[in-house]
Amino acid sequence: MEWIEIFDISIFRSLLRSTAPIAIVGMAAALCSAAGVLNIGLEGKMLNAAFAGVYASYTFESVWAGFTAGIIAGLLTAALFGLLSFTLGADEVLAGLAINIFSLAGTTYLMRTIFGQAGFFSDPRIVGFEPISISFLEGTFLQPFLSDFTYSIYLMFFIAISLHIMYYRTRLGTAIRATGENPEAAEDAGINTVRIKWLVTVFSGFLAGISGLFLSLENLTMFTEGMSAGKGYIGLVASSFGNNTPFGTFGASLFFGLGDAIGIRLQGVYELDSRLILMIPYALTVVVLILIGIRQRLRIRPVPISES
Amino acid sequence: MEKFSFKDVLVTFAGLFITSFIAWVLISATGNNPSEVAMYLYEGGFKGTRNIANSLYQATPLILTAVATLISFRVGMFNIGINGSMYVGALYAGWAGYKFTTLGHFTHVTVCILIGMAVGAAWMLLPALLRVYAGVSEIISTIILNFVAVLFVSYMANGPFRADPIAPSTARILETAELKQIFPNSQFNTGFFIAVFVAILAHFILNKTTFGYELRSGGDGLVGMYPSRFSSYLGIPSDRSAIIGMLISGALGGLAGAIEVLGAVRYFFQELEFNQGFDGILIGILGKLEPIGSIIASLFYGAIKNGGFYVDYKTDVSREIIIVLISVLIFFVSAQKMVKGLEKYPFIKKMDNFFSRKKM
Repeated sequence: MEWIEIFDISIFRSLLRSTAPIAIVGMAAALCSAAGVLNIGLEGKMLNAAFAGVYASYTFESVWAGFTAGIIAGLLTAALFGLLSFTLGADEVLAGLAINIFSLAGTTYLMRTIFGQAGFFSDPRIVGFEPISISFLEGTFLQPFLSDFTYSIYLMFFIAISLHIMYYRTRLGTAIRATGENPEAAEDAGINTVRIKWLVTVFSGFLAGISGLFLSLENLTMFTEGMSAGKGYIGLVASSFGNNTPFGTFGASLFFGLGDAIGIRLQGVYELDSRLILMIPYALTVVVLILIGIRQRLRIRPVPISES
Repeated sequence: MEKFSFKDVLVTFAGLFITSFIAWVLISATGNNPSEVAMYLYEGGFKGTRNIANSLYQATPLILTAVATLISFRVGMFNIGINGSMYVGALYAGWAGYKFTTLGHFTHVTVCILIGMAVGAAWMLLPALLRVYAGVSEIISTIILNFVAVLFVSYMANGPFRADPIAPSTARILETAELKQIFPNSQFNTGFFIAVFVAILAHFILNKTTFGYELRSGGDGLVGMYPSRFSSYLGIPSDRSAIIGMLISGALGGLAGAIEVLGAVRYFFQELEFNQGFDGILIGILGKLEPIGSIIASLFYGAIKNGGFYVDYKTDVSREIIIVLISVLIFFVSAQKMVKGLEKYPFIKKMDNFFSRKKM
């Protein structure tokens, strides 16, 4: 096969599918970082949401029960993070790490104890999200580009745009950015920074919940031990590469998604070791980290947010 | 972080009680008998020579990873990638274990350990340099390198280093490279003494030498924040101590991996799984980032970890419960405001003063 055959319509679709979880959790990370919260715990939030979604969907045989449970799990984990770091004065990084370790072990424990399965849990009773087909696009050339995706893909665009508007067009967005850039000045201006931090943390739990549900209930309907596989961290890198702005994060996530999508296609075309293919997203992340480093060394930075 | 004080001990024990209560609820809720689990946990951890030896064996890598964690934290770097160092250290120590055929016992073991440590340290070089010279968060880069390490060693055990045509594993290490196992039916080995020695050495270097002071001055009291300029005002290059601390931390991770391969499993295979790097972070925090505290916390953790295996084997309760409970305990211990809040009670303040005076 020729290498050019890798690029066709299906890679575009696979690109969006690979991008969605990273972009959504990346925007959660961007929101937190913009408010000056280093939220390492996103990984754990995703994992808890993914597990709760599968558990509720399996128990009630309803995808919306799974959705509700997943979101609640994400919010509760976020509340735990907020409680530890803002109310009880734990270090943000330690709290986030402890939450990640807790979530990884906790979901594995529950899966093994409740379902009696090690490794992964899959069952026909688990109902997943169906793709949405947009009827008026049927038959047009746009159909393969825009139709028959699952919810997250559309949500991803919606979240990016609404977050952008929230950032730059509302009082709340200004308050969030002020909290991140200069907490003392923000306090002087009458902004309750602790409340802002709580707010972004809880909202990041919601977004991480959606991202986690995407993993376990959309394209696959199963739960695997540690299935978030570092996506929460990759989201943090994406937000950092995108200067903590919604569109920047989205662009950086597309880069990660592209690497992932090409990796999946390469696997079919060339006889490459699967471990090297699996390494692509992480290797890309390291490359991006080096790029961030070079950018910071050169101090080629976009116009600071305060001036735009 | 401050040194151990009475209120820390109080919070740790109160946390243990609350955690045990949570465990009780969790185990009952998933349809098991908590008192039975507690009994097996005790038996597996502490009963009989073999179980005690195994508990000490479990504690061996934990001591090293906890010391690796605390050294990096105390120079002001959050090294979360000790697990990655452990993997690559184990792989290359195993490689050296069968590659060098002409060495004597002592030399061969030393060479293997040094290679494991060097590789583990090298693994941390990129995050350290990126952090110090380009301001890239070492937290994220080390976490991502963990994922790379797992896939890298798995690739190496499958490809270049593969010796066994059936299973993806390297050749068995030679007898000259083995760390001796002392008790029958137990993987406890002389590596334990190396680990304890390293921890005590770390205690003296950190607390009693100028070099240790230089290392600490970059990060003490600031865990979680970026290194202060304080050490620069003293004329101590905090950048250099940050890099050195990171490399030492990686080397100790590599040492932990090397001891696992040379002392216990004796060859490197694809399914070999390490979690001690992450456990070490929890233990380091439990031990208040002090080497001696880490030894005590590791022994405790090793015992309940070994007990957890026994529980897993005897009942339907999975061994992950141990990690769940330890991380819940960490939630309590890390809640600084709660610990500080205790100071308003006169009794606790009195006890605090009493114990700190005794120390002087």
